[in-house]
Amino acid sequence: MAKLDVELTVNGARHKLEVGSQERLLDTLRKQLKLTGTKEGCSVGECGACTVIVDDQAVNSCMVLTAQVDGSQIITVEGLESKSGLHPLQKAFIDKQAVQCGFCTPGMLMSALALLKSNPEPSQEEIKTALEGNLCRCTGYQQIIDAVEMAAEEWGA
Amino acid sequence: MVEYQLLRAHSLEEALEILAEKNNVEILAGGTDLLVDLHHQDEKFDNIDYLLDITAVEELKGIKLGAETGEIGALTSHAEIVSSPEIKEKLPFIAAAASSIGSTQIRNRATIGGNLANAAACADSFSPLIALGAELVLRSKDGARRVLLEDFVEWPFQTIKKDKEILEKIVFKMPQGEYYSSYQKIGRRKALSISRISLTLLAEVENGAVKKAQVASGAATPFPVPFRKVNKYLNGKSYAEIDPVEAGNIASDEMVGITGERWSTPYKRPALGKLVERAIADLLEEAGYNG
Repeated sequence: MAKLDVELTVNGARHKLEVGSQERLLDTLRKQLKLTGTKEGCSVGECGACTVIVDDQAVNSCMVLTAQVDGSQIITVEGLESKSGLHPLQKAFIDKQAVQCGFCTPGMLMSALALLKSNPEPSQEEIKTALEGNLCRCTGYQQIIDAVEMAAEEWGA
Repeated sequence: MVEYQLLRAHSLEEALEILAEKNNVEILAGGTDLLVDLHHQDEKFDNIDYLLDITAVEELKGIKLGAETGEIGALTSHAEIVSSPEIKEKLPFIAAAASSIGSTQIRNRATIGGNLANAAACADSFSPLIALGAELVLRSKDGARRVLLEDFVEWPFQTIKKDKEILEKIVFKMPQGEYYSSYQKIGRRKALSISRISLTLLAEVENGAVKKAQVASGAATPFPVPFRKVNKYLNGKSYAEIDPVEAGNIASDEMVGITGERWSTPYKRPALGKLVERAIADLLEEAGYNG
């Protein structure tokens, strides 16, 4: 089947890639770019484990063909840590014990990051709305919401 | 294995050209329905030769509300509708429906036109737009035609849109004078829920009475319809004359008149009735009437 040429900027690095016509962004990230922090959970847009940020918006990478986001800026969980250390969101998730099995965590972090980038001082309701597409079967969510609140305070400070 | 060639249009003209030239083309917008089916290699893709991605067609995006008329581009996402201050102010029932769809991630990708063109019985965009009396602009290379949204769906997942046509925009008259609205939805959970039943009530009022009521429902019938008998019941009634329970019963009878008695009827009959009651309660509260 014919391959398509696409160019993506992922976590600040530019990539020229050949992708299949049915290749999902999730597949490109995990298989071609070996960025396996992004997880495949349900594959139907219910669980949010595959959430990444495309041009400042949280999206399910299982529901986007890579060819559709040609030219886009993409952030994955691997893009959070910098030379100066862990991102405030990552630190807050650790401090608030918002991680148990960890499978949902990369998606949670991406939904939270998209929220804080557009709304640095979210209310608890706004945090819940931002995270409503991310399922966690371990924590019961409260620690995750607490962590996002804490990160918002620290990041803004 | 499903096989197709993926094409990307960057303008409406280019998309219409492709549709005119090629056969067996499926249009891809936000993809939140289509790509799930594709991933499961649904047999509906067996006869598809081309998938036409229109997400880069800027002309199909945007919201324009004037004093008399309004339009929403088919490729406008639910997130854009939710965050539009003018939709929130003038057509809050459309914002309410859009915010009830999927999750943040879904609303960022999924489009109002995709929701209509996919035409699931449970699609949440129908009832507010049918209540508004909206029309769709269907465009092909040969020109455009306008169809009433309530005539658009023939059966779940089947519309009157032709293969060579693209759903360009949704157009409607703005409600006039004093008006109130309510959007109601029952799902199994808050986020990501598929509607069991949804309902929009839009009413233009004058001197403490309903001048023009528009009630429409989603998921109550195989394809969305306006509830004309309820409209008729409400029209001309003063707030004091409205019996919400009676209005609910009329709506339920109208629904069963369309669907016949089904396995779900013992649930849907009282559920729809209750939604009508809640919508009327919202309306009277907004209008400042307290019995």
